[in-house]
Amino acid sequence: MNFDSIFDYTLIYATIRAATPILFAALAAAITEQGDITNIGTEGIMLTSAFAAVLVSYTTGSWILALIVSMIAGVLMALIMAVAHIKYKADITAIGIAINMLALAITKFGIKQFLGTTGSFTDPKIVGIPKINIPFLEGNKYLNGIFNNWSLMEIFGIVMVLLLTFLLYRTVWGLRLRSVGRFPMAAETAGINVNRMKYQVMIISGVLGGLAGAHLSIGYSQMFIENMTNGRGFMGVAAMFFGGANPALAWVGSLLFGFVDSIGGRLQAYGWPSQFVLMLPYIITISVLAFSMWRKKRREEKAKSSLTIATVKN
Amino acid sequence: MVKRRTFITTKSPNKYINLLLTTLVSILIGAVIMLALGHNPIEAYIQLFKGAFVGKLNLGTTLQKFAPLLLTSLAFATAARAGVFNVGVEGELYLGAIAAAWIGYTFTSLPGPILILLCMVVAALVGAAWSYIPSSLKAYLGVNEVCVTILMNYVALYITSYLVNGPLSAKTGVPQTPTVAAGAKLAQFMKPSQANMGLFIAIGVAVLVYWILNKSTLGYKFTTVGLNPLHAEYIGIKPEKSIINSMFLSGAIGGIAGAIEVLGTYGYFLDNFSSGMAFDGMLAALIVKNDIKMVPFMAFFLAVLKSGALGMERYTGVPKSVVDTIIAVFIIFATMEALFAFLQKRKAKLVEEQI
Repeated sequence: MNFDSIFDYTLIYATIRAATPILFAALAAAITEQGDITNIGTEGIMLTSAFAAVLVSYTTGSWILALIVSMIAGVLMALIMAVAHIKYKADITAIGIAINMLALAITKFGIKQFLGTTGSFTDPKIVGIPKINIPFLEGNKYLNGIFNNWSLMEIFGIVMVLLLTFLLYRTVWGLRLRSVGRFPMAAETAGINVNRMKYQVMIISGVLGGLAGAHLSIGYSQMFIENMTNGRGFMGVAAMFFGGANPALAWVGSLLFGFVDSIGGRLQAYGWPSQFVLMLPYIITISVLAFSMWRKKRREEKAKSSLTIATVKN
Repeated sequence: MVKRRTFITTKSPNKYINLLLTTLVSILIGAVIMLALGHNPIEAYIQLFKGAFVGKLNLGTTLQKFAPLLLTSLAFATAARAGVFNVGVEGELYLGAIAAAWIGYTFTSLPGPILILLCMVVAALVGAAWSYIPSSLKAYLGVNEVCVTILMNYVALYITSYLVNGPLSAKTGVPQTPTVAAGAKLAQFMKPSQANMGLFIAIGVAVLVYWILNKSTLGYKFTTVGLNPLHAEYIGIKPEKSIINSMFLSGAIGGIAGAIEVLGTYGYFLDNFSSGMAFDGMLAALIVKNDIKMVPFMAFFLAVLKSGALGMERYTGVPKSVVDTIIAVFIIFATMEALFAFLQKRKAKLVEEQI
């Protein structure tokens, strides 16, 4: 096995490329987690908007319009969840699963009704999200391989990480949101409209989930396949747990999955059975999830033990 | 005043009426969708009914679909008793199925009934063992079980896909295992449909599960932990243990569901055969909010919808996925606790007036 050809400089961009759909999903989950909602429905939001993006891009030929419609589709799905959970007291996990089911059903239905096929749909008329080409980097092999020809969404993903970090940790709104996440009743007492906060984060989550879906279907690839998210929404949720709902740490989590995904693809060339390569990201996700929760538990136990010492001293 | 309020809130909301209303609303929404597509909804529903019940083949197909649905919905409801969302029944089903297939075609010298029993037991053990990973992570580390079980479904699917394409392949070009011994096959009735004796095994398991959950100490522990883990811990029930035990039971039921599919319907393990059977079971359980008495009825209702959908598509042109959409809408409404709260409010008013 030649390690040089697995771990070379092209791995950097491959990692970022594979991580971006998961990153958007992770951000969509992180923002709601900060507001006390574990958004299991990310997968469904992604799938619906992936379909919407392909449909609009195919019929109108405009990727900007496709992006906008997919965000609207994402927000609609998120709002169904929000109304059901906040107004009608649906269990968030149950409604999340229900939304995923709904997404699977309506996209299956939509692909037959509007695109006239079943299974998968691809067409040269689908206009993808453009890649950024910087001619002046082309001279250098390494700079070209690492920094050139990024998809617009890959750059936008990193911008979103910074933006959300700023929003959560540097603004009044973020402080209020985090207080809702910590202890909703206390936030309510302090005069924060908890339900309004929750609706707001669900809408933001819908926008982010919509971007995730659009990137998957018209950025990362240019097609729609039944159930094409293939657990990426859940990997996003796992990345969010890994980062403890912190956008920057969630980004690290999604990069890790992207890294494993890219290496897996390369290992396949060395005769690994494809099934093992395909299951690798899922196994890593589960292990990382377990590890991060173990660390969190350790930390909490430590915090608790120091608390008891403090009370004893008092 | 205080007394009256507690009286009203402790009065159990009439969930059966809620369920009926939800059913009607989702059927209506389905009709609206069909109308929008230019189909006649009444005609479509009549064909759906015919496709599920009229004729030996149709009724048999409904029963054949009902058996695994009953088991998978019970599997979900069992874990939900202890407050665990086991979305991983699909993976348990796959692994149980391939284990049953392997036993079935390897130990061919065993007499039929013993071989069937062995297949079931091994499938149940494999399913239970697989469920230990998410349950222990949930119980000891607090890892979100929905995430882990869904991700593990993919792992299970790829493991079985590897086995059936490699070591356990029948080498016929189709990704399937060799056919199990003739004695291990569950007798089919109502030919030409694939309805089989697995139905009665499923019903037997259902009765057993009902007894465990509602009459045994184990079930009492599950319920207590599910309602309030802190309270359970206070009165001396270990929540961790109950969570793990309920998942063991759930995984075992999932494994048996897979074994029934292999021994009854196919006779071998086929790559990727389930197509979301366990997810449909989960929906059935979610719709009735894991009420163990209602689960079989809802599983049957979904089996009717699923098998009738084929006939509906054939005779009216309404795509099958409309039925999936109706089911999804159904469950969204069903999860909303407070959707038909206005009914309760009216009732509460009546009660108040009586007082």
